[in-house]
Formats: sequence, structure tokens, C-alpha cells
Amino acid sequence: MKNLKLTERLGLVNYRNQAKSDIKPHIVVNTDICNSVCPHKCTTYVCPANCYTTDDKGKVHFQVEDCIECGTCMYACDQGAVDWNFPDPEIGRGVNWNFG
Amino acid sequence: MDEKFDCIIVGAGVAGLAAAMTLAKNNMKFLLIEKGEFAGSKNVSGGVLWGHDLNKLVPDYWEEKDGGWERFINHRRLTFMDDQSTFSVDFKSSHFSETPYSGVVVLRAKFDHWLAGKVEEAIAESDYSMDSFLATNILVEEILMEDDKAVGIRTGDEKFYADSIIIAEGVNNLLTRQIGLQKSYVPADHMLTGIKEIIRFDREKLEDRFQLNGLSGMSNEFVGYATDGVEGGGFLYTNRDTISIGLVLGIKDLREKVKKPHDVLNHFKSHPVIADTIRGGEIVEYSAHVVSSGDKRVMPEKLYKDGVLICGEAANLLMNAGKAIQGMDYAMRSGILAAETIVSAKEKEDFTAGYLKEYENKLSDSYVMKDINNFQDAVHLLHDPMMVGKVPNLINDFGRKFFTIKSEPTQKAHKLMRDSIKEHTSTWDLIKLGFKGAKSL
Repeated sequence: MKNLKLTERLGLVNYRNQAKSDIKPHIVVNTDICNSVCPHKCTTYVCPANCYTTDDKGKVHFQVEDCIECGTCMYACDQGAVDWNFPDPEIGRGVNWNFG
Repeated sequence: MDEKFDCIIVGAGVAGLAAAMTLAKNNMKFLLIEKGEFAGSKNVSGGVLWGHDLNKLVPDYWEEKDGGWERFINHRRLTFMDDQSTFSVDFKSSHFSETPYSGVVVLRAKFDHWLAGKVEEAIAESDYSMDSFLATNILVEEILMEDDKAVGIRTGDEKFYADSIIIAEGVNNLLTRQIGLQKSYVPADHMLTGIKEIIRFDREKLEDRFQLNGLSGMSNEFVGYATDGVEGGGFLYTNRDTISIGLVLGIKDLREKVKKPHDVLNHFKSHPVIADTIRGGEIVEYSAHVVSSGDKRVMPEKLYKDGVLICGEAANLLMNAGKAIQGMDYAMRSGILAAETIVSAKEKEDFTAGYLKEYENKLSDSYVMKDINNFQDAVHLLHDPMMVGKVPNLINDFGRKFFTIKSEPTQKAHKLMRDSIKEHTSTWDLIKLGFKGAKSL
């Protein structure tokens, strides 16, 4: 059985408020911390939805659109950069599982 | 809804629904609040609901042809893996096909939704059929406190008041932290990320492949190669026409070993034995969720405060002691006990911490805390680095030698075992581990 790429896997996820372009992010990341003092930048690999990425200069960027609300980054980040909340049902993103 | 409720329950997962069902059956006036579009829409489990408590909430639930559960477990398997082989302890018995079942596989978006329907039926039959509610699509942002006593909740600009609050918000317990019962930052040390795929098959193919009969099902846990050196394990459960396959991975270990959970999942699924097991299926969902490990060091120091109780995974009530991953059954029992405490608190008109402590006493006397307390050694053993590599490797090395038949004289099993031990670890290490193991189980 062929393994799917992460983007294909995330394509199977049913997100909320997908039609809305202007959503309120439920996680706010202070990437200044990631890009100055953090020794591991671990969110860029432990996040199961790859919401944290690095650019070609090695700088950390965060996008909330693919977030599946698992909570991993809230524990993995030991630098205080991740302000984690649940998405607002009306104006946030987040998941709506078909199977769960 | 200006009136005050007896109780507000935050979260319609297994714990919150069990609490709500108990309150409804005891004619309490309550509000059950869920942030998802429907109960279960935000929830992820492996997952098997173990034990008999579901039968207490929904008597004879198995009679319902299209109930919320997938399959009952009558086939258990624990598998040790190295890179090429699997060595399993396998137990199947028609004894487990009798009701009440000792475990049912569930998919939360379906199961919680179904159980919520049962709660609504119970509300309709209660004295407060018009005054108790299940409200979805509402995010509780704050527990309202007055003089350090919980008095209600806030969502946006709206406030609702009650004599008591049951927090059943799940493992990412922001409200529990807000009221000071959990530290504001919980480190990764004893937390894991669960990651899984739902893979669909033709139902007949699934039933043939896993030797299922009617609604019987299998649960399989994996130790070793599955996690690519990361502390944790794998699981595979059969649903009606899909399987749930995945891993639980220590977050601290992922961080230190620089591993991506989805890569580790591919690694697991690419193992030759697993590849044979899942061939021809179609992936229909990918999901992930944090779980706690059952290590007591991460649990909130206490589960009550004036006017408020914490239950389920919000209280980190989950344990994997090697035999099974138990979380939903703990959630169910703790939800029932929390609600029962609220019912008697109302009779006594005493919602202070002094009285609500009764919940923690009940929980300590129940199998939930007894097992968590008794099996701490097993939890530590399972997370011993040797369990990820050396032990499963030596077991499989022994298996390969034992089952190999060459046209030459065969060695006795104890000699083969000694060779495998020498190759993969030392007798001394194994004695130490065996000591831990004997103590733990």
C-alpha cells in the first residue's frame, strides 16, 4: 500500500470554516523566540500537520490553516513561544473529524 | 437561560457525556457545552473502550443494531517487532464474544454523537426536560471564579451560572490550568502524540483478512520497530469496514531524536508484516491528538476546588501498562463519579471543596486510581529505552532461530535464547529489566 504524502493526508481532513478567507488564528507563535534563542526549533518537525516550517534562511514560520488541534506543539515547545487556544467555532479554523 | 443550573459540564466527550447521563438520570438541571459542531467532532482515540461501564449508561447497548460502536473485541494480540519480523502473543476466545463485552472499538465522531443522542433522550425523560441542554458550537473561554469558587462559565460576552462545574475538556486542559489545578505549562516529558489513519476495505475482505465473524473485532498493540526508536508503541483495531492504525509517540523523545510523527507512521506501515496486513486498503482519514501516558507525575495534584471537579483526560486519567491502552473507560467512570458527587452535593447543599473532595475519594477507591497506582512500574517499564529496541529485537532474533529449520542439527531453545541475549543485550541488563517486569505486572 502506497504511503501518502503529508499534504495528501491533510487533504483528507475536514476543516471548519473553509470558505472563510479571514479566520482568527487559535494559536499565536512568537517566532522571534524560535529564531533567536531556541536551540532545537522542534515544532518544525514534531507537528503532525507541518504547520511550522523553516525557510531557506532557517527562519521558522507558522500557519494555522492546516492545524488539526492535536496539541503537540503546546507541550513540545519549552521556550514559551506557543500561545495555544481552541479555535472559535464561528471565526476560527480547526477540525471537524469524519471518523475521529 | 437566565436561571442558574445545578451543574455546567464543559466538554461532550466520553467523560462529559457520562457525567451528563448520570445527572439526567438523577433529575438534575444542567448545561452540557461542546465546542465542536456535534459531540465527537473534535475527538480522536485509538481506540478501544474497555470495561463494562457503557452498559451502566446505556443498558444492553449491544442490542441496538446500529449503535455507536464498531466491533467487540474477542481477539487480542501483542506484537514485538524488529525490522523484518513480528513475534506475537495472541489470544482469541469465544468467551469474549459474550455480553457484556469487555471492550468495543469506537470511532469518536460516531460514538460520541450516538452517546449524546442517548443523553438527550435521558434529558427528555427527566424532570428538567425543558431546562437541561446539550449546547454545541460553543467554546468556553473562562471559568468564572468568585473568591476562588467556581460560579459559572463565560463564552464570548455571554455568562452562564451554576452551583457546580464539571470540567471534562480533554487532555489539552486549558481551563484546568486557568483555575490553577494544573501548571500553566505542562512539559513534554510524560506526554505523547497519538497519530493514526483510518483505512477502508471492502467489508468482506476486512472480515476475511482479520478472521472476524459478525461484529467481532481484533485489537493489536505493537512494541519495537514500529516507533523507529521513539518511546511509545503502535496499535491496530478493526472497525466495521475500516481499520484504525497508528502510533503513540513520546513528545520529548520526538523532540530529542528529531523525528516527524508522520514519517514514523510511514516507517511502521512499510514494515513487511504490516504492509501485508493493510494491502489494498484506502486511507480515508488522517488524524492526531495528544494523550497522557499514565505517569502520575503529570497529573493535577487535586481534582477539585470550591464548586468544580475535573474528570477524564483533563485529569490525565489514561494509562498504557502494556496490556491495553485505557483512557475512555477511565473517562467514563470518572464522569459518572463526578456527577454522582454533584448529585449528593446538591442534596447536602454543599458545593465547597470540603465536600467535593468526596469525588477524589470515590475515584481513589475505584479501579481507575487503584490501577494507576498499582501499575506505575509497568508504565515506567514500557517507557524504558530497552523496550523500543533491545527487547523486541532479541525476541525476534530468538523467534527467527527457533523457527528456522535447516538440514543440520538443531540447537535446544535455551541455547538459542542465550545466543540471542548475548547478541542484543547482556544477561545482566535483562535481569534488571526482568526484575522491573516481574514487579510491574
